[in-house]
Amino acid sequence: MPLTGRGRIVGYILLGLAVLCVVGPFLWILVNSLKHQIDIFTGAWRFTPTLANYSEVLFSRRSDFAGNVLNSAIVATASTALVLVVGTLAAYSLYRFEWARWISGAFLGWTLVFHMIPVLTLVGPWYIAFRQLGWYDTLGGLVLAHVTMNLPMTVWLMMAFFREIPPELDEAALIDGCRPLQVFRLIALPLAAPGLIAAGILAFIFSWNDFAIALNLTTRDTATVPVAIARFAQQYEVLHSQMAAAAVISTLPALLLMAFGQRFIIQGLTLGSVK
Amino acid sequence: MRQSIVVALNRTFKHWSLLPAVVLFVALTIFPIANLVRMSVSTIEFAEGQARWTFTPAHNFSLLLADTVLWPAAVNTLVFVVVAVAVEMALGLGLALLVARLGRGKGLARTIMVLPILVPAVAIGSMWKLMYNYDFGVFNQALTALGMAPVNWLGSTSVALASVILVDIWHWVPFVFLVLFAAVEGVPNDVIEAARIDGATDAQIVRRIMIPLLKPALAIALIFRSILAFKTFDEVFLLTSGGPGTSTELVSVHLYKVFFEENQLGYGALLSLALIAAIVAFLAVSRGALAAGRSA
Amino acid sequence: MKSIQRGLCALAAVALLGIGAAGSAGAQQPFADVGKQPPITILINSSPWYAGFEKTVELYEKQTGNKVKLDATPYGGMLEKARNAVRGAKSSYDLINLDTQWTIEFYEGGFLVPYKEVDPAFDLPKEVLTYGESGYWNADKRFRSAQGGKLMAWSPNGNVLLYVYRDDLFKAAGLAPPKTWEDVLAACAKLQDPPKMYGSVMRGERGNGIRFDWMYFMLGKGAAVVRDPAGGDYTVTINSPQAKAALDLYLDVAKRCGPPNAGSLGQGDLIQLISTGKAAAGMVVSAAWNNFDDATKSAVVGKVQAVPIPRPADGKPAALLGNWNMAIPKNIPDAQRKAALAFSRWFLTAGAQRVYAEAGAIPVRDDTFRSDLAQNPKYRWMGAYLEMQKYASQELGYAEGAQVEQILGLRLNQALIGEMNSAKALNAAAKEIEELFKKNNRRTGGLTPLPE
Repeated sequence: MPLTGRGRIVGYILLGLAVLCVVGPFLWILVNSLKHQIDIFTGAWRFTPTLANYSEVLFSRRSDFAGNVLNSAIVATASTALVLVVGTLAAYSLYRFEWARWISGAFLGWTLVFHMIPVLTLVGPWYIAFRQLGWYDTLGGLVLAHVTMNLPMTVWLMMAFFREIPPELDEAALIDGCRPLQVFRLIALPLAAPGLIAAGILAFIFSWNDFAIALNLTTRDTATVPVAIARFAQQYEVLHSQMAAAAVISTLPALLLMAFGQRFIIQGLTLGSVK
Repeated sequence: MRQSIVVALNRTFKHWSLLPAVVLFVALTIFPIANLVRMSVSTIEFAEGQARWTFTPAHNFSLLLADTVLWPAAVNTLVFVVVAVAVEMALGLGLALLVARLGRGKGLARTIMVLPILVPAVAIGSMWKLMYNYDFGVFNQALTALGMAPVNWLGSTSVALASVILVDIWHWVPFVFLVLFAAVEGVPNDVIEAARIDGATDAQIVRRIMIPLLKPALAIALIFRSILAFKTFDEVFLLTSGGPGTSTELVSVHLYKVFFEENQLGYGALLSLALIAAIVAFLAVSRGALAAGRSA
Repeated sequence: MKSIQRGLCALAAVALLGIGAAGSAGAQQPFADVGKQPPITILINSSPWYAGFEKTVELYEKQTGNKVKLDATPYGGMLEKARNAVRGAKSSYDLINLDTQWTIEFYEGGFLVPYKEVDPAFDLPKEVLTYGESGYWNADKRFRSAQGGKLMAWSPNGNVLLYVYRDDLFKAAGLAPPKTWEDVLAACAKLQDPPKMYGSVMRGERGNGIRFDWMYFMLGKGAAVVRDPAGGDYTVTINSPQAKAALDLYLDVAKRCGPPNAGSLGQGDLIQLISTGKAAAGMVVSAAWNNFDDATKSAVVGKVQAVPIPRPADGKPAALLGNWNMAIPKNIPDAQRKAALAFSRWFLTAGAQRVYAEAGAIPVRDDTFRSDLAQNPKYRWMGAYLEMQKYASQELGYAEGAQVEQILGLRLNQALIGEMNSAKALNAAAKEIEELFKKNNRRTGGLTPLPE
């Protein structure tokens, strides 16, 4: 039901305003990343742009930033893929099959309460457990931690999207002789694709941006982007120009990975779909 | 052989599909939660490198009652959550409906909307602090250029909380948008077309058809956004650390100071359980309110 | 091929350094020979001096062949990682760097091993600055003091506040560098011109910021939080008439010299105000000095000078320290402890400190400060820095320190933003601090409250 005529013009104007509000501060980071600190301090509008911050962040002798971005890419991608598989299966199971009420209630309640725990009080026990399991300071350990962190939202989101599917659809398919797995794969998943993408984007972003867990479970070699960027917030001052450059650099691979991931999900679902 | 595995997989689908999530949760969340509960009724002291736990539930509870900062923090938190979440839900829904009705540029709009949640919180906090700066910030530059008096965004007790909420809104509208946009995309087109042919206006379609269909997604957005809002920490800590005075002190910021900076593990754990209880109560009340609003 | 070349180059550099040092210092050995040691890992914060630390560590690796791994961690994550390390079964770090206000927790908790327990022959060289003896712990008195205390940590970095002022503006206005806060107020009468120029700025933000800066006034007026913590007398004296006079003076300076948002200023804001030329003077941390002389960060290059923090006209000079403390966790094997101590011994030598300073860090040896380095105009702040060391003290050196800081940080800030008057703020703080000590079974008490 696309807008037409005057409604469309008003729509685009409203959207333009919204985009401006959203992008404005981001553009401001971008501009700051091209400034020396003194120009950031004075809020100057006229300044000589410099790429020094980028080369400082990427190429200075003590910089690990490229490595940090790679760690983040690995952890965010792997944990998103895993949480989508584990979470979607669990959501589908709870939605589709007759689980005893106390089981589904306990599981969903447990995940929600877990989501409410302030991370601060969580990371200490995790540090101890992960060291004993030998997962401390490994990317795999961080992946598992992020899967757990993102599981509540993924399960709840996917359940909401499965609920939107008219129940007649898969009942009909079952009667037509489809097996349960086929119904899941060929009917439920493609219909819930927008939800899968939203859940994937959110899981990816929360993993990409997690500071508290990554700080506690990694050291210098396994550190991720948020930990690296926090290094620019020092005891007495923030290195604004380097932080801005690092923030800009870190968004690009994340956007690329998310675009790629979306395409991957859509293609994977339409292949062999009966829709 | 292969055939029989497929049959087995299908027959046990119900169970193995839930299993990985349960295993992960049992393995990784029971210990931290049990530990938190145990801490909340204990006093923990360290001597000779070892932790010494003593069972002191009454003492911990008395700390809760005597905490002079907790009351203003609770009030601020409630204001923060209600205002921020309400505005974010409204803006997020509006944007989702708007973008869904555009013919082109949906993908681009979604990509752009992601930007605020993609930047690490520490960068967002420091950046907004610069923008709010009294002498050089972009907001006061604009006000001065328009001939108005500069505003003390973060240094005035009457403005600081609003400034902090504004950052939260900017940061989290995209979250609501993403969830609701996906749900709007999932609404079958023929339903809306049919209503249109029956002569329904735009407003009616949104109110009578879209909102009821979006109910599950709206509930999810509200639940998860509220939980995160109650836990908001990084930006507020970086922008004001709860000051000036207690004007932007949130329970989560207070918790950080108690549990982390002051190393009061027992009382801090109790505080975080109190925060969880508050979230549960808030969700229950808002669910009741929404249900009552619908039946009225 | 390339690596061989680099190796040769490194060898040559070491040889040259060795010769150069031997030539200048005569028979004195500038570096320590610490022998072969197992690899160690150091938990250290990202900071302006990190690059210098890393360079010095690289030289250590080249000279000794011993390996050192640095886990450069954001300041905001240091305490968490340090706690994780010492509370676990085995620490993943062999040296941990602790901000001064965190040290008590680690000393009291018995998480660290005293240096003399690792090697009875180890002593800090007498030239090494002790920064108010924050590295010593007297377990009987539960107080940081070299008197009967054991050496638990040495400082890789120490900061005091300096009074930084615009030499050009002061000269143009016919003002001498201020010695007292009354001089500062007189200068502000001439220089204060908001919003174009603020006369003198200092931290007013809630928490550590206002607590730390105000304590210079408190000590200057001869007031104290607690009567005699080293002697076990925790009578709260923060609402004494002297403390009120100190707070009133602080508020006076904030109102007559500061910006309208004085109650939210942090160290970063001060650096911004001074380096943009918006503030004519201010009390800032010595670590910020390099900013003011760096053209990419400052509009006042070469125009600022540093003097010790002014005292009240009727008071005495005072200095509070913010230093880092390098300590060995208890939960590591003996060989690791020895390796950590070996590195410490080497790092504190005159030779290593020279390299450290030349790589841009602030050295921690008195003789490094007094060497020809001091002649370099780049280091023109060093005189004030050393002068301040004479009055240096550590405050809140007891287990409740972090909680006392929260209480004071809030009440002082409320006085600054006008939510309560100075007497009421101090009475409230005194009451809360006394209750805190009572709960912990300290010998405590209070003064008659100030008239509000």
